Amino acid sequence: MDLVLQLLFTGIGIGAVYALVALGFVLIFRATNVVNFAQGEFSMVAAYLMVVFAVDLGWPYWLSFLIALGGMALLGVIFNLGVYYPLRHRTFLPVIIATIGASILLSNSVLAIYGPQPQVLQGWFDTPGIQLGPVYLDSQYLLIIAVTIALVFFNYWFFEKTLLGKKLQATSQDKEMASLLGISVSTMIMITFIYSAVLGGLAGILVAPVLFVSIQMGSTIALKAFAATIIGGFGDVAGAIIGGLALGVIETFGAAYISVPYKDGFAFLVLVAFLIFRPQGIFGERVAEKA
Amino acid sequence: MKLTRRDFAAGVVAGLAAPHIITSARAQGATIKIGMCAPVTGPAAESGRYAIQGAKLALEAVNKAGGILGKQAELIIEDDQTTNPGIVLAFSKLAAQSDIVGFLGSIRSTQVHAMAPDVLKLGKPVMIGGTDPNLTHMGNQWLFRFRPNDSYSGRVIAEYGVNTLGKKKWAVLHSTDAFGTAGGKALTAALEKLGAPPLLDQGYANQSQDFTPVVLAIKQSGADILGSYFTFENDLGIFARQLRQLGVNIPWVGSPSIVNITALKLAGPALYNTYGVADYAEDSSEASKAFGKLYRDAVKVAPDNQSSWPYDAVTVLAAAINKAGSTEPAKIREAILSIKKFPGAEGEYNFDQNGDGLHGYNIVKNDKGNIVFDKHIEFND
Repeated sequence: MDLVLQLLFTGIGIGAVYALVALGFVLIFRATNVVNFAQGEFSMVAAYLMVVFAVDLGWPYWLSFLIALGGMALLGVIFNLGVYYPLRHRTFLPVIIATIGASILLSNSVLAIYGPQPQVLQGWFDTPGIQLGPVYLDSQYLLIIAVTIALVFFNYWFFEKTLLGKKLQATSQDKEMASLLGISVSTMIMITFIYSAVLGGLAGILVAPVLFVSIQMGSTIALKAFAATIIGGFGDVAGAIIGGLALGVIETFGAAYISVPYKDGFAFLVLVAFLIFRPQGIFGERVAEKA
Repeated sequence: MKLTRRDFAAGVVAGLAAPHIITSARAQGATIKIGMCAPVTGPAAESGRYAIQGAKLALEAVNKAGGILGKQAELIIEDDQTTNPGIVLAFSKLAAQSDIVGFLGSIRSTQVHAMAPDVLKLGKPVMIGGTDPNLTHMGNQWLFRFRPNDSYSGRVIAEYGVNTLGKKKWAVLHSTDAFGTAGGKALTAALEKLGAPPLLDQGYANQSQDFTPVVLAIKQSGADILGSYFTFENDLGIFARQLRQLGVNIPWVGSPSIVNITALKLAGPALYNTYGVADYAEDSSEASKAFGKLYRDAVKVAPDNQSSWPYDAVTVLAAAINKAGSTEPAKIREAILSIKKFPGAEGEYNFDQNGDGLHGYNIVKNDKGNIVFDKHIEFND
């Protein structure tokens, strides 16, 4: 039982990271109908920004955190204007290819500026974790889980209870109709990119103390997060979170009880199973919304 | 001007002969070229930088001492991207340059396996750092190893753990790539010979983000000592932290990656009091000390095996070509294999007929972040 609890905690912790990045995938997909393959690189860039401000410049952690997220918001704007906006009237394929290009550009830019050395970023807390009976709770994972829960509520409130959230939803459901109702579609898409970049950045900053800061950290997480969005139901916010958490738990238990070397295989096995038997994912895309 | 039949024939002959003449002229160019495949990008880019610096330091020393066959030596570097396709591409680019007389391959066995067929086809000497024992035992006469192979590291880890630390309940953890699998097998075989077969033999896939299931398996196995073969420092760092966090404090003897600079920086105190087999240990010999000083002065970081083996590879290759008096591959090969008692940064080189230059390992201890030389264990078989 102790083993199960420990694995469950770790699985949820890792899954929460996937969920945060998956959320960014979903939001951009809903707004633009394309998959942003640079979402993982947003995490990596934010983690490096933290290293620059909190480690190299020695600024307070909270200040570095706010500036890094501000930097990510700016990156969201640049990404929207430089990658999506010029191709917005084209089919989805050129946009997807552009996001892949942007992902390569981002990782190689960081490599050129910062070098290939992995970096260490301390966590928020001085205490690495707490022992709760037989289970060790890593403080960074606790923070990641707490932030994910908070984001579930925040997203619900933001998208369902605020005017801006409703405008964003309207834009994602039918751009032409939203435009006829006086909503500035391009502004809404810009806001979506900003929010997705900040979410991706948040995931990167939170996971950096656990996985270290490296050029590859974004792509590793993004691959799983992408699988999580498909499992949860592409285009569904709740699905992204549930899909991420499920993936984290499945791969952790699969590694413990079946095979460690094939840990990544379990995640993709589940993905393939979903693609065959339930391609719309756990929650499915609400077709009525798109009609 | 009237074109005669004789002029036409002369023109055709000159046209056909020109590429050969140009190639020969280039081969007899102003410098002697050595090709190097190194991870300039990818997960091992940091260690790749150290490797390039090690090779460049050796090249400077060779050139200062008069060069190779009276000419200055030059290093041509191609990025292997830390991937198998990457190194195959990098090597093919270098192999296409006919004036390159010898090459430096990878420290990663899996990459050496990937490039090995092309090495055999080219038929020129390639210096390697990969430690999978099979590399020099699979009929490829052009691979020369500048680190002790894993049959030695496995035996040294087992012997140190069983006979010096007195532990017999082993957990063996290894990457599932070529290096890790070969290392894990060698360690398991050595432990079986010493009457201490491992209680747990656990593989893991590279670039894992979480090792909780592995740590819990070690905990449950009842092992009182851990032997490991990690390929990437990121993995080692994550594992080391989780091992300590989950309360596993048994002695740990690891393969060389456990004492490399990046791993020490990433894992910090989680690696204190661990042991490692190190092909490079600064205090193990005068030549090692001399390299250590040279490297620290030039690069401003502590030296490790990532830089020491390319340093030795370039030094030995230059010495062998000078000894052979020729850049002909077969003569270079003969000269390398005849090298005995050659003092290198990694140890004393005594090449056997398989192309293995070193036959033992140092044991070092992580003493609060400082790597301290403990003992050297040499094998004669």
